[in-house]
Amino acid sequence: MSNIKEYVRQREGSNISKIVIDRDLCIGAASCLAVSGETYNLDNENKAVVIDADSVDDDTLIMSAESCPTKAILLFDKTGKQIFPK
Amino acid sequence: MEKYKYVIIGGGAAGVSAAETIRQTDKGGSLAVVSDEPHALYSRVMLSKPNFFLGKIPFDQVYLKGDDWYKENQIQFLGSKTAVSLDGTNKILSLSDGSQLEYEKLLVAIGVRVRTLNIPGADKQGIHYLRTLEDGKKIMEHIKTGKKAVTIGGGFISFEMIDLLKLAGLETTSILREAYFWEPILDEPSGLMIENALTKNGIKIIKQVEIAEVTGAETVDGVTLKDGTHLPCDLLMCGIGVVSPIDWIKQSGVATNKGILANEYLETNLPDVWTAGDIAEYKDLLLEENVQMGNWVNAKEQGRIAGLNMVGNDRHPFKFISFYTTQGLGITIAFVGDVAPGQDRIIIPRGSPAINSYARIIIVGQELVGATLINRTAEMSTISKLIENNTDISTHHADLADPNFDLKKLLG
Ligand SMILES: Cc1cc2nc3c(=O)[nH]c(=O)nc-3n(C[C@H](O)[C@H](O)[C@H](O)COP(=O)(O)OP(=O)(O)OC[C@H]3O[C@@H](n4cnc5c(N)ncnc54)[C@H](O)[C@@H]3O)c2cc1C
Ligand code: SF4
Repeated sequence: MSNIKEYVRQREGSNISKIVIDRDLCIGAASCLAVSGETYNLDNENKAVVIDADSVDDDTLIMSAESCPTKAILLFDKTGKQIFPK
Repeated sequence: MEKYKYVIIGGGAAGVSAAETIRQTDKGGSLAVVSDEPHALYSRVMLSKPNFFLGKIPFDQVYLKGDDWYKENQIQFLGSKTAVSLDGTNKILSLSDGSQLEYEKLLVAIGVRVRTLNIPGADKQGIHYLRTLEDGKKIMEHIKTGKKAVTIGGGFISFEMIDLLKLAGLETTSILREAYFWEPILDEPSGLMIENALTKNGIKIIKQVEIAEVTGAETVDGVTLKDGTHLPCDLLMCGIGVVSPIDWIKQSGVATNKGILANEYLETNLPDVWTAGDIAEYKDLLLEENVQMGNWVNAKEQGRIAGLNMVGNDRHPFKFISFYTTQGLGITIAFVGDVAPGQDRIIIPRGSPAINSYARIIIVGQELVGATLINRTAEMSTISKLIENNTDISTHHADLADPNFDLKKLLG
């Protein structure tokens, strides 16, 4: 059922290699944008899209995922393990 | 009497964001969060969203923090207790269970509460409001058996609930006092776009009427409008605005208007008392006026700034361009910046209801101050940057009016 979009991250030295947006969960609250406007934008359906997966450091990225009121942003490390939400 | 370095009243988005921020900087300072709700932080916004409401995702997904989070961070969570009076001179907060807390620094992040109906029959069962998890649970239970719903109000709660009631299979009628949805923040053409989306989905809309009475024995069986019309229903959903729960705190001398007044540092007029979130009526540096917002990002960001200011010697101003989005019934709506109507504003239409994509760009003098966007949310973040940069757009009115012109070009 899930309507998810995956974005590969290749930032040097980063532990996070994939950002996933669950479009069914995302409600366009735009908290993620407020934390990291470099990473996300909203599309015309009010869903978050990743515009640049590499722009910010891991801490900022984790903060942006934590800020989401519906836990629609999932982060994965290089081994494929989900690191957020824990 | 228990004594804490930091006391936060309210365990919502603003309060918890402040607690989290304080803990990041001051690892050892004692910290208590007082809440009249029993729950750890949950997502208020999720309460009106289809996936949660219709049970498509696990209920527990609504919780954003577990009880263990408070323990791990040495945050004393004082749940199911209401703050009932404040002595700002001796720095003592009294709670509903008779206990008192002494604080060094206090944050008032008490949010707002729903406005309730004040008409005959307003105490019947089957009348719903939506602010808390308990409110949400009640409605989720009721829609399983409900058949006919009436919603009152022309703002986002009603709009989102209409979508949900419809999805849940209830026959729904929407009543507004106004001439269209979101009057006067939107214009009539925008309002009509929303209305079309509703009617296309089989929702009946009755405008410019007020409800006179709720009928029924113990439970609602209908509503009577002021013009005498009677509408049968077994579920009545009210989204008629909010009120600030500040009566108890006024006697402390804290300055209030609609909300609790604060400067740009979120400081109130009382020493060592800050405010944040929906309750804060703060001096907005970008809009240069006092405003009170009601959205998640704003509450969270204000909590963070208040938290920083409570810990540190540096004072951080709250500077943030507010945005808000909502969606349902195949339409998306976004507000960014200052969207309040005013005589000094020039409004440039961008797109049109005919192409089902319509924005209103709001300008004061040479600068863009806000926008309302229907089915054009993708432009929200660029517009927010244009506001933030104080970009002079006086020679670009034609570009702004062209729905195909890429606004990013104005960012320079
Ligand atoms: C159904 C619904 C849907 C929403 N959807 C969206 C959305 O899609 N996007 C968006 O951006 N925003 C949305 N919002 C708004 C958003 O949820 C609020 O702006 C945000 O929760 C405000 O946070 P806060 O911490 O200021 O207040 P609150 O979350 O209200 O927290 C304040 C807390 O303080 C408690 N309290 C009050 N008085 C006292 C007292 N005297 N003593 C102790 N405790 C007290 C309250 O009970 C409450 O628990 C929605 C709101 C609702 C109700
Ligand atoms: S914060 Fe979450 S819900 Fe809001 S736009 Fe970002 S992903 Fe979507």
